[in-house]
This record gives sequence, structure tokens and C-alpha cells, in this order.
Amino acid sequence: MELGVVGTWIAALLTLACLSFLYKDNPFFRFAESLFAGVSLGYYVGITLNQTLMPNLWEPMRQNFGQNWDLLVPGLLGVILYMRYLPKFGWVSRYALAIYVTYYIGVDFTRRLHGEVLPQLGRAILPLSHFDSRTLVSAIFMLGVGSVLIYFFFSREQGPVTKRIARAGIWFLMISFGAAFGFTVMGRVALLIGRLNFLILQWIYPMLGIS
Amino acid sequence: MPGFIDRMLTLDRRWIFLFVLVSVATPIIYPIGLPVTTTGSTRAAFEYIEALKPGDVVWISFDYGPSSAPENDPMAEAIMRQCFTKKVRVLVSVFYPLGGLGLANSAVAKVTAEFPDLKYGEDYVNLGYKDGAAAVMHRLGDDISGPFPTDVNGRPIGEIPMMRGIHDIRQVKLVFTAATGIIGEWWITQVHSQFGTPIIIGPTAVSAPKYYAYLNAGQLLGMLGGMKGAAEYEKLLAGAHPELAKFYKTTRAFTATKGMDGQTVIHTVILAFIVLGNYAFFRARAAKKRGAA
Repeated sequence: MELGVVGTWIAALLTLACLSFLYKDNPFFRFAESLFAGVSLGYYVGITLNQTLMPNLWEPMRQNFGQNWDLLVPGLLGVILYMRYLPKFGWVSRYALAIYVTYYIGVDFTRRLHGEVLPQLGRAILPLSHFDSRTLVSAIFMLGVGSVLIYFFFSREQGPVTKRIARAGIWFLMISFGAAFGFTVMGRVALLIGRLNFLILQWIYPMLGIS
Repeated sequence: MPGFIDRMLTLDRRWIFLFVLVSVATPIIYPIGLPVTTTGSTRAAFEYIEALKPGDVVWISFDYGPSSAPENDPMAEAIMRQCFTKKVRVLVSVFYPLGGLGLANSAVAKVTAEFPDLKYGEDYVNLGYKDGAAAVMHRLGDDISGPFPTDVNGRPIGEIPMMRGIHDIRQVKLVFTAATGIIGEWWITQVHSQFGTPIIIGPTAVSAPKYYAYLNAGQLLGMLGGMKGAAEYEKLLAGAHPELAKFYKTTRAFTATKGMDGQTVIHTVILAFIVLGNYAFFRARAAKKRGAA
């Protein structure tokens, strides 16, 4: 039996083990679930080691330490993160974590502001001096954003007017949840199609000799 | 009939699972070939790549794993086929850790085998996987060789002929990211917003709604939403390049176009169940009210 055929059989049997949960919980499903978690973790460690730590940290320092000695800093910060497993020196890991979080706050602040808030606000708020279909859509979006924000404003009790606006906000929320649900169904069905496609065309058909 | 409707409220959900299974499996065994209509966001993406010149560089990022491969694989392969047909050079990267690299390597091997004249290092380069996507993208504006000192095989990128003229992400004409989760957002907010590189995204259907905000704000050139978007792209590609149509007509290979048969059937089934379930619910509630009165 070829290696590829063995791989197909293993993948097919594990797929069936996962799908068997739809009937009821069983040891085959639990085995497949645990195997998946273990393999995923092992794969993550391996790929990070081979594709990131080796070429970006280890190799540059090994080849030319004089020019790349500064890589020791992020390398050590990474090692320090694991100090939390030593009860006596656990506090040291907080320094690495603090630097890590601070870096990403800095990166994310620019990202959110210049990548999301400003460009999307700029396109959403249109001048009313020229009224066309785009302005109408934009006005509906603004109404939606405003009413949803009022719905989520819990600091003050809602009066008769704000209650009605919040009610409109619920409608906007429901419409967006409906759209998201529709897309989610399509996405999950796509995964089922992919699996069944594999089971039927790559496993069952060759097994039955159907070309 | 009323007895059947009433039974819908207490129907064991496993019967619905079985119904869904049969509804999805049938079009795989007996393909229907239902028509696919294209949308503006997919056409915009297709037309932008069609207008690229030979020698231009497109960055294709495989930012998904096996959990969304049926949606993302067809779109990444279709974009690669279009680029290679147009003699556009391709840079491949991976930012999704769990299985993304394996999928990228398979897709690159599969599509490049269809174009025997292509040369690795001149027409395409696989940069491999990098951890910390947001930080890596931030560095791409300065120097690609910083975060990617070597290609996927460990070859220094300074030794790769294609990379000699590409210093940073600004020299790339387009980034296409087939993405699941948040990585697609980072391409828009880190790379497009800060360096101006145009982005086309191929998100999973689950993620697609959030990307409409970026699309409407002009931050995305185009979008291929889930399997439907991929099927639209395959249709446009086969229409514009008849020599590529053969890849979408084979009975054994999986394509998004074939997947849409199953999508249409199962959506009809789900709608029927929703209508039946609601009818049964309101009927039971009305009967209860009548009983109470």
C-alpha cells in the first residue's frame, strides 16, 4: 500500500471519528479530538522553530554575532517569559510580558486609529450638500451606529425618546446578526462540502475502483 | 399533514443532520452545474489583476489553515493561476501557524506544475511562515529581508534573483490574502493604511461581513467572500482565459464552483426547515392560546 493511500485512510477514518459526535459522544471522537490538539501543538512548536526562531534569531547570531548581538535582547525576553514556571523567579516573566504588551499596544494604536477609525469615519460621514443614493445609505448607517450606541449606553436610565431609539438599535443589530448568521451557515456548510468531497472522491471512489 | 407538522417540533436533531448529509453528498456524486452570478467586489478584484503588466509582483499570503481550506484553497489557486497566465511574478507568504505552510506548499506545487515554464526564484518565491504577523507586516515597509531573511527552504533572499529588485512592500503591486480570523485585518490596517499597498481579501464566509466596512471605506480593492466569492472568481477566470477552464471542468478535483451546487441545495433545505419549524411553532402557540381561552 502506498504512503499516500495510508494517509488518505487515516484522514478518512479520523474524519468519520469527528463526525460520529453528531450521533453522540463516543471514544473515537475523543481520541480524534485529543490527537488533533496534540498534533496541532507539536506542529506549532516545530514550524515556529524552523521558520522563525532558526532563520530570524539563531542563524544570524551564529553567522555574525558581532553584527547581530542585539538579537539577544528579544531572545532573552522570550526565555524570560518561561520563568513563570519557576515559583521563585516567576515575577521576572512580568517584565517580558510588559514589554510585549506595550509593543503591541503601540502597534495596535496606530493600526486602529489610522487603519480603521479615521478612514471609515471619513467615508461614512458625507456632506449633505450633495444628496444622492450614497448619502442616503451613509445616513442610514449613521442612524444605525447612533441607535446601537444608545442601546448599549447603560450609564443613565432610558427615557421615552431614548427607549424608542434603542428599539431601533435592536433592529439594526438583528439585521446585522442575520447577515452574519447567513454567512456563518455558508462557511460551515463549505467545510462539510470539503470533507464530504474528500471522503467521496478521494476515499470511497478509489476504494470502489470508480475513476 | 397536521400530525407531521406537529412532529417537527419534537424531531430528533439527528434526522436533520442526516438530511443535511444527504443533501450535501448528492450534488458531489451527481453534479448539477448550477449557474454562479458574479458580484461587484469580486469583479473589481479580477479586473485589477487583469490590468497588471508582465513582471509586476503580487504578494499572495496563505493566512488560513485546514479548517477553512475548502473556502480559501480555491481562491488562492485561482489568483495564482491568473497571475502566472499574465506573467505576473508571485511572492508567497504564510502567517497562519496551524497548517498554513503545508497548504501553501501544496497549492504552489499544484499550480506551478500546470505552468511548466515557470522558474522558482525568477517567477515566484515562497517566503514561508513567520510568527507574529502584525509585527512582521509592520517591518515589511522598511525591508522585506528583515523579517524574511531566507525563503521557505532556508536560501538567503539576497541570493534569489527575483528578490533583487524588491526591497519593501511598496514595490509590490498588490497583496492578496486568503484569510481566516484577524490576519486579513492586519494586512489592511498595517500594510495598506501605512504603506499604501492595495489589498484584495479572500476571507472565509464567517469573516466576510466585517470586511464590508473596509470595502465600503475604500480600503480594499476587492473581496472574494467565502466559497461563493471563490466560485465567482473561477467563473471570471474561466471566461477570460479559456485555457484555464479545463481546471474547473474535471470531475475529481475540488472547485468552489462545484461546491456551490451543494451550497444551493443545502440552503434550500435549511430555508425549508426554518419555514416548517416556524409554522409548527406558531401553530402550536395558537393552539395553546385557544386552549387557554
